[in-house]
Amino acid sequence: MVFEIPKIEYSGQIKKVTLGSDNSAVTVGGETSYPFHLFEGGVPNLPRIAMEIYDTPPDDWPEAALAPFEGVIDDPVNWAKKCIDEYNAEMICLQLLSTDPNGLDRSAEEATAVVKKVVDAIEIPLIVWGTANHEKDTEVLRKVCEVCQGKRLVIGPVEEGDYKKIAAAALGYDHTVIASSPIDINLAKQLNILLGNLGIPEEHIIMDPTVSSIGYGIEYCYSVMERIRMAALTQQDDKLQLPIICNIAKETWKTKEVKTPETEEPKLGDAKKRGILMEAMSALVLLLAGGDVVVMRHPEAIKLIREIITELTTS
Amino acid sequence: MILVGENINIISKTIGPALKERDSEPIQKMAKDEASAGVDYLDLNIGPARKAGDELMAWLVDTVQAVTDKLLSLDTTNPVATEAGLKACNSRALINSVSLQPERLEKVLPMVKQYDADMIGLLWGIEGMPRDANERCMLAVDLVYRANQLGIPNENIWIDPIVTPISVEINQLKACLDFMSMLTEIAPGCKSIVGLSNVSNGTPSHLRSYLNRTFLAMLMKHDLHSAIVDSFDEELIRLARGEMPEIVSLVHNMMDGNMPDMSSLNLKQVEYAKTVRVLNGETLYSDSWLEI
Repeated sequence: MVFEIPKIEYSGQIKKVTLGSDNSAVTVGGETSYPFHLFEGGVPNLPRIAMEIYDTPPDDWPEAALAPFEGVIDDPVNWAKKCIDEYNAEMICLQLLSTDPNGLDRSAEEATAVVKKVVDAIEIPLIVWGTANHEKDTEVLRKVCEVCQGKRLVIGPVEEGDYKKIAAAALGYDHTVIASSPIDINLAKQLNILLGNLGIPEEHIIMDPTVSSIGYGIEYCYSVMERIRMAALTQQDDKLQLPIICNIAKETWKTKEVKTPETEEPKLGDAKKRGILMEAMSALVLLLAGGDVVVMRHPEAIKLIREIITELTTS
Repeated sequence: MILVGENINIISKTIGPALKERDSEPIQKMAKDEASAGVDYLDLNIGPARKAGDELMAWLVDTVQAVTDKLLSLDTTNPVATEAGLKACNSRALINSVSLQPERLEKVLPMVKQYDADMIGLLWGIEGMPRDANERCMLAVDLVYRANQLGIPNENIWIDPIVTPISVEINQLKACLDFMSMLTEIAPGCKSIVGLSNVSNGTPSHLRSYLNRTFLAMLMKHDLHSAIVDSFDEELIRLARGEMPEIVSLVHNMMDGNMPDMSSLNLKQVEYAKTVRVLNGETLYSDSWLEI
């Protein structure tokens, strides 16, 4: 008797979403099977990694995270170029840390000027991530949408509390939105419905289920993402058939397990290795759960994930 | 079906303060309103009532009995308060509730026998919430056995399979329905009861009744004996009283796998049909389920 690998019957497909514009555009999604189930067919687009940069020098990163970007952390344009030229970034995620009302609270105009400079300097897709403050994001991201018309940015987070104005601007100026919900499958679905009611085409939405690091509830993120994919692929839930983005780097590098220096806690071992592995393993878990884009930081963690993706997808 | 009105509840904005201040007027008004809405029992929910719970429950029973002769359900986690309520009741009371937690078994279960009351047998184990239909069965068998040992007959036990909110875990609702389909075999003679409104907990308040009504209709397929409900949901009461047979048969047909032709249904039927689909897990729930 010949052994046959049991196969799952799929009835749905994840929508293809194209990020960025022109020649450098990247298409994600399109799956007709669970993540890395290549034996069941459909994974037309492999997961992508977006390298994150910040619009202001971060002041709470451990040494290991800063080292690869020495000399560029106070200049987002050069930072982005370094990611592309030295680390082969396929996408850039610009985190608008400086706009945080509880931090530097920079104006929408200032933030937009930085976004414009970066988007004009690079040829790969640009993701622009706000601070999840509804009022401030509305102000900043609307302005960004307007000034960067035609650049096909990926804009977020767009949440149930602020989706109307931000998504309307994204729609008007032709950008893609990141539909962000607080680790809850029902709320994720609801936001996609609301965005649909507003007239946002599905090909312009990517979902952010809200993720956290290993040790900080990643099991829950995994479970929600897994259920989203089950609903999308096996229960014909067309409101959930969208690619998923995971903004994971900052979640891993802010944990105390990563930030504590070896001198303080010798038992934890080499801080650099720890940070890289924490980031890479967290990203891997999310890719296995169905992530289509992971936002990552450390070049060595990225290298690890690229190798794993290649290994899992070459027969 | 026996309906237990849920509206005299410590968490209510009018009833809560009235209980605290021993102000009988809002409570008696609520009791009369519930009685005229047509429910059979009034649930008296005073919550944990850790301080002077006995005095509060006795006062509440007296206050309500002064204006209505509806039967009463004594709803508190304080056993001393339960006993005080039993002593004050003029007629046969329903104890809400006895679970498999040691304190409930040791202190409250004997009262069922002693005061010749009915009891809600809540399927809540030592480890908390049962995870599926099988665990519900195990808990039910265990609970009924314990009650029988004290000489409480099955007829006095109203098993509550625990209804959970739709937005928490849809498989729990399926497990609840599955268990209900097995109850008569597992515990012949036992009755059943659900805290119906819990199914819609956390959903927009103007949409809650759609979920409550439809889930009630679904439970009716398994001969649900009674439900704790919002006394003022008129349609729900008509449904429970058998006055909406077409809706009930639509719901039951769908549960048997017969999808209706949506275009042949009227608006109300469409609403019930869409709600069945989210409650049986065919479609994932979202707050906009009626619109898509």
